[in-house]
Amino acid sequence: MSRQQTLKSLEGLLESFLARVVQRKEDRLGVMEGINRLDDIARQSSRGEDMTDDIGDWFARHNRWLTDSSLKPADVDRITGLLAQFRQQLRAPSESSPAENKIHSEIDRWSETGRKLSPKLILKRAPEARAPQPISDPDTIGLFDKKLTRLTAVFKDTCQGKKHILSVVNDLLESARLQGNKDALILSAFIIYYLKQNGYKVEPYVKKLREAETILAKGALDA
Amino acid sequence: MLSGGEKEYCAALLALKRKDYQAAVEQFAMAAPYFKDDKEFNIFFETTRLLVAVKDELARPMNHERLDIEEVFPNG
Repeated sequence: MSRQQTLKSLEGLLESFLARVVQRKEDRLGVMEGINRLDDIARQSSRGEDMTDDIGDWFARHNRWLTDSSLKPADVDRITGLLAQFRQQLRAPSESSPAENKIHSEIDRWSETGRKLSPKLILKRAPEARAPQPISDPDTIGLFDKKLTRLTAVFKDTCQGKKHILSVVNDLLESARLQGNKDALILSAFIIYYLKQNGYKVEPYVKKLREAETILAKGALDA
Repeated sequence: MLSGGEKEYCAALLALKRKDYQAAVEQFAMAAPYFKDDKEFNIFFETTRLLVAVKDELARPMNHERLDIEEVFPNG
């Protein structure tokens, strides 16, 4: 076999291999092409270009994806992400043209269907080890009374040496966050609400309260 | 947005579908930094690159490794 013939034979072999690669990936390639096109549209739209007609064409071409099984969960996530990005460039529905309104409703339809197509994570509880105890009505008033007495004691302790209620809240939040003190958490929430009712700006304290709450909840789970 | 290299990988496969091998090599090359450890990607890229090289070789006008010279002695 001459060198020329060898090269020809190799060319045929490689072409045939790549043709089979394309054939094997034909379905995925269609999806990838569609997502790639949507990505282009979203990019151009974010540069300020009017892509209303293009996105309309895209929907017309790919609507069947909502009913057939071409898309994987990752594709659905990707498409809904790109559509959400595209939506940001659209005017509010009240100011939109009829074409834009149609796009808004198509995006909503895709997002809704996407949620249905996404797999759900189902957590199942293990069976109870013991039969549940009969529930008697607890003495809620008595329990709250005890709690209030304890909170008052905590409040008085924390107030010592401080000149402002905000310093007290700060200390209580630290105690809740660092020591996992649930009484301090409840008391700080109570004081923050009181301060809010009296016109204080409480956002930073609310943020700290949420952080402390998360830490406490996590601690309870880890325990 | 599609993440780094995905757009180029996709464009490379679409170029393969059109049998535009040169364009496929260019797109694969752009995607390569993001798919260094992807065996499938590397096989596709190297195969396409080899195919383009083979086609280049075949396209050369004079493609002889050696020239055979035959001496002819008339009347002798």
